[in-house]
Amino acid sequence: MCGLREALPEDVTSLITLTLSFSGFEVFKLKDLLIYSCLSLLWLSTMSDTSVGPEHLISKWLEAKEFLVVGKSVSRIDALSKALGTAKYTEDYLMSEALFIKQVLSPEPHAIIKSVDVSGALRIPGVARVFTASDIPGINQVGYALPDQPLLAERKVRYVGEVVALVAASDYEKALRAAEEVRVGYEPLPHILDPLEAMERSDVLIHEEAGSNIAFRTKVRKGDVVEGFSKSDVIVENEYRTHHQDHIYLETEAALAIPDMEGRVTIIGGIQYPHLARDITAKVLGIPSSFVKVVVPYVGGGFGGKDDEGPLAAAKAGLVAYLTKKPAFILYSREESIIIHPKREAAIIRYKSGASGDGKLQAIEVTIIHDTGAYANRSPFILWRATMHSSGPYEVPNARVDGYAVYTNKVYEGSFRAFGNASIQFAVERQMDQLADKLGMDPIEFRLKNILEPGKYTVTGQLLDHSVGVGDAVRKLAEVSEWRRKYEEYKKFNKASDRFKRGIGIGVAWHGISTSRGVPDWSNSYVKIEKDGSVTVFTGITEIGQGSPTSSHIQIVCELLGVSPNHVKVVFGGTDAPDAGATHASRGTSIGGIGVLVAAAKLRERLVSLAASMLNVSPEDVVLRDEKAQVKNDPTRYVSWKDLVKEAMSRGVELSATGYFFLPKGKFDDTVGQGFAYPAYSYIAIVSEVEVDTWTGQVRVLKVWPALAAGRIINPQQVEGQVEGAVVQGMGYVLMEQLIFDEKGRILNPDLTDYVIPTIRDIPEIAKPVYVEDVFKYGPFGAKGVGEMALIPMPATLSNAVANALGVNVTRLPLTPENILKLLGKVRG
Amino acid sequence: MKITFKVNGEPVTMDVKPNELLINVLRDKLKLTGTKYVCGIGECGACTVLLDGEPILSCLTLAVDVNGREVTTIEGISKGDELSEVQEAFVEEGAIQCGYCIPGFIIMGEYLLRIKQKPTEDEIKEYLRGNLCRCTGYVNIIKAIKKASELKISKTK
Ligand code: FES
Ligand code: FES
Repeated sequence: MCGLREALPEDVTSLITLTLSFSGFEVFKLKDLLIYSCLSLLWLSTMSDTSVGPEHLISKWLEAKEFLVVGKSVSRIDALSKALGTAKYTEDYLMSEALFIKQVLSPEPHAIIKSVDVSGALRIPGVARVFTASDIPGINQVGYALPDQPLLAERKVRYVGEVVALVAASDYEKALRAAEEVRVGYEPLPHILDPLEAMERSDVLIHEEAGSNIAFRTKVRKGDVVEGFSKSDVIVENEYRTHHQDHIYLETEAALAIPDMEGRVTIIGGIQYPHLARDITAKVLGIPSSFVKVVVPYVGGGFGGKDDEGPLAAAKAGLVAYLTKKPAFILYSREESIIIHPKREAAIIRYKSGASGDGKLQAIEVTIIHDTGAYANRSPFILWRATMHSSGPYEVPNARVDGYAVYTNKVYEGSFRAFGNASIQFAVERQMDQLADKLGMDPIEFRLKNILEPGKYTVTGQLLDHSVGVGDAVRKLAEVSEWRRKYEEYKKFNKASDRFKRGIGIGVAWHGISTSRGVPDWSNSYVKIEKDGSVTVFTGITEIGQGSPTSSHIQIVCELLGVSPNHVKVVFGGTDAPDAGATHASRGTSIGGIGVLVAAAKLRERLVSLAASMLNVSPEDVVLRDEKAQVKNDPTRYVSWKDLVKEAMSRGVELSATGYFFLPKGKFDDTVGQGFAYPAYSYIAIVSEVEVDTWTGQVRVLKVWPALAAGRIINPQQVEGQVEGAVVQGMGYVLMEQLIFDEKGRILNPDLTDYVIPTIRDIPEIAKPVYVEDVFKYGPFGAKGVGEMALIPMPATLSNAVANALGVNVTRLPLTPENILKLLGKVRG
Repeated sequence: MKITFKVNGEPVTMDVKPNELLINVLRDKLKLTGTKYVCGIGECGACTVLLDGEPILSCLTLAVDVNGREVTTIEGISKGDELSEVQEAFVEEGAIQCGYCIPGFIIMGEYLLRIKQKPTEDEIKEYLRGNLCRCTGYVNIIKAIKKASELKISKTK
């Protein structure tokens, strides 16, 4: 819907100049019909793109050396309407006749629902209806990985903030008042907030049907850790703790459902995966998926949170609209957003690692416990990712890793940029620094002795055959950040300075491309060339701020078809487009872009072949650029793009194509956690410099140096934006952001006054990233994922820098002034 | 209560409740949806508009208080389709990601560059510290303000 709002600037036809001056073309057009038809048939018979597989098309573009627009900082097209204030987000589509939905939340962490009395609410004029679990016509089950979660609480509640009922009224005030009038009778049950306690206890079960409070387990068994530790000259062992983080996307969750548009329930909402939101809504309503349409307009930030909560908001609005036959609108208040939606994992990680005197890692033994909260949601995937990344980007011959996702009566765990990986890389990298210290080695030198390279095996025993640029990234980073010099200099500085201490730290991380647990992953897109030569691209990838459909997708089309960006319209984020998978896991460009590339490449093959026949050259000698098909070494001989398209239409050349690509994956054995985990990994290393005020406990980040090995950089400006944004979001997590829970697991700071995120005053200087373009064989032009990357090593790099500054062991986050003073022994911990 | 005020140069008259907030009048009644509601408690700056040229938070301002005055929203910053220097610089410098915070930043940028032609980095941070952005890390927003200042100066030369 919104995608359609940004029409081509003015009239496209007036922008395309007709080029009919090429005499050969004119002559060709004058040939008589018979010859023309024969030629066409002959030419058509030489078309072979049906036999060209997507892998072939992808690899052809992987090898390209020169590019028209790839690798350039092209401005994203949505920036214009966003600067003008005309870009539309969900709330901007609100219609006055829509019913407002207010959620009734549980004040109890664990209780049986004895009764729900809605009579008081219904007495308020303007209240249309109150909905509880029993009103759901389809299936009240929205658990993502496990079938453990209702949309509206049924029989019992499991955390403070769980949604028990929905109230729909003619305006916001009435809905609010009515929600307060819904009387729910609870019979409290004993509740558990501590995951360690939850693991031990079987007398209190948060999900009785699970038989224990452990929702999911993971493991890795590689080599023999006993032998590995016996070969180790140094061993380090610690318990690490990380905390929850809220996404604080500026736009809270919202959805507008229209009951009967095009004969379907249509939902406009802030969602990261329209097809998932559609399927969940259809299941709740008990109707076929094809009778639900989801449109995702611009989204005011996602960061993973709207991958989890977006579909639930959609289903709630869908339910009310479907049952009342009126448009229905839900908008979470900031407080509701923070109380209800899933958070970054809070983890307890016990980590033991050993290395031999020559600086080689010999063994790791790791236990990862995720405080999963009330529902499993994606925690099986988050925990799996953490487990399979538990070695860091290093080669370890012997590993024993056990992961547990544990239910507690708190807000549940969910997707957040870095997806289980920021906490584990924090533990890994703290260990690496301490091992290096015990070995008397420089931290970077020690890392490089163990770093993954092509030909090495990961902790899951997967052979890395290509696209492993992390070693080069770390080496270059050490150079540009002047690591060695500063490392020594800060020691001197700290000796001389009493109050302020400076430190430098590094965090290196890896992040598997594509979905976890071997879940099938694919890309899909539909591209068509219109009569006037403009190009329309359909994709299910959404625009949540990352800009893939509004920048890299357009660059891919322009690169392949030689058209101007002004003539490419990407219709994104809707279920009427092919399912391109979710906009999560840094896959918008790296996976979402593959389908666009394959579809555009198919069209290109057809048109190049046609142009070759028109220009009397072989297809290899045709170049598409500047809205022309021209002869490679003689740009004066060309057919204009518009004429080429016309010709294609008159000769029966299909001008639309789908680009479907199924990502090849290998086998994985869950019983030992060995095998193929991910098709490739993106890598990042970040060096940071901090200054700690030992009187106040304040940590100031002075400068951050990122180095990225994420394959081809399609748009440096967009990549830098992702890196900078992730650095600051990660810094906020490490230094200031913290949810406070009371004894019932209630969040005490659900607003922007008490949950503090970085402002423009808090940011460090961020150096231009170092890029190592270690191309990935299935990525568009070799691109790997970027969006999450820079957040992943932030806990690692900052805590290493703080430990370096203060000479203390950092094992817990956040590094708030209070916790720094505890570390210094200035206040009691 | 009946109030009359100017929005982006156009006079409007309407009935409002005494407790009605300016942001709701702008967004719901006047359909000027460029101004965003994020926190409602004065913590984020996304709802910033200009009142007689001075920045105010429309989520904390009563509609009755703008009676007889002039409000400028993000929709009133460009001249038709022609972007202001601040808008142009935000687009060019990659300062816009999800865009939800952007109207607030652009309004503040306009105000800042009107009172200070060439603000220092510290001044930029001082004036924009009340505006939250969760996407960009602010780096390119600072670059954009600097660039806008240059653009403005070069145009007046
Ligand atoms: S919405 Fe007004 S300051 Fe946040
Ligand atoms: S661009 Fe998304 S909040 Fe600023």
